[in-house]
Amino acid sequence: MISAEELVGEEQAEWYAMTPMERWRESGKLWEVYLAMGGSLDPEPDTQSPFFDPEEPSPRPVDGGSGLRVVRRGRVQP
Amino acid sequence: MGGQACVLYGAAEFSRDVDLAIIASPANLSRLRKALAELKADVIAVPPFQLKYLRKGHAIHFRCFAPETNGLRVDVMTKMRGVDSFAKLWRRRVTLEARNGTSYQLMSLPDLVTAKKTQRDKDWPMIRRLVEGNYFKHRENATRSQLKFWFLELRTAELLLALASEHPKLCHTLATRRRLLKFGALHDKVTLTEALFEEENAEREADRRYWAPLKAELEKLRHARLVR
Repeated sequence: MISAEELVGEEQAEWYAMTPMERWRESGKLWEVYLAMGGSLDPEPDTQSPFFDPEEPSPRPVDGGSGLRVVRRGRVQP
Repeated sequence: MGGQACVLYGAAEFSRDVDLAIIASPANLSRLRKALAELKADVIAVPPFQLKYLRKGHAIHFRCFAPETNGLRVDVMTKMRGVDSFAKLWRRRVTLEARNGTSYQLMSLPDLVTAKKTQRDKDWPMIRRLVEGNYFKHRENATRSQLKFWFLELRTAELLLALASEHPKLCHTLATRRRLLKFGALHDKVTLTEALFEEENAEREADRRYWAPLKAELEKLRHARLVR
């Protein structure tokens, strides 16, 4: 019998084994970090979606200004 | 350097909007308007928030401006390709309750899987994970209806082959509903993987065809908005 770890790796297998509410709490923790770093609530532009509208105005950052800015770029960074 | 870095560079994301399936009736729309007003939600993009667009299969897009949900996107729809009527979805829903007593009404897993069969790349790995997760969680004590669900929806060749060798009769029976199960029964991973890919492409094409007239209508609405 194939194990989940074998097929998808330990991290994903652990996620599969959780209850829905455990997953809810875990993703809540990620959300806190994401928002603390200034992450936006706006979805990435999804050009494959039938709803995609290139004219749609971009939203403001969630807290009015990004909490994260680039202070150093590697040489290969565009 | 892992998933978090991918999120920051913009390649990976976790869901940042809320998608709601609703009954498209005047009374329900009026309740929805009140709820959206509490969130200070404005319609963004097209179409406008009208019953006729929901009934045609469009989604209405909102952005919230209430302080606790500032920037949150909410999409509302009532009709999805291949998905049953709202009444049936509601009967099959799953209710989850959080520790604080808040309850969440989720579309059932089989309905969600059907709704995710779109033209977008990102929905397909999601379907695979949804069904895989359900399989690993319940395979020790699977009911017949769960077995049928996995046979009809698994997108992981290894698991389909394992399932086919454990339940050859059911696999044979269901091959009339999912053509690639004929390959599953042959224990041939390469052929099965190709068949899964073809099946995905056929669904994506069907979704593109379904959306073609709706997209044309959206284009017209966008154009009309620009002219105004």
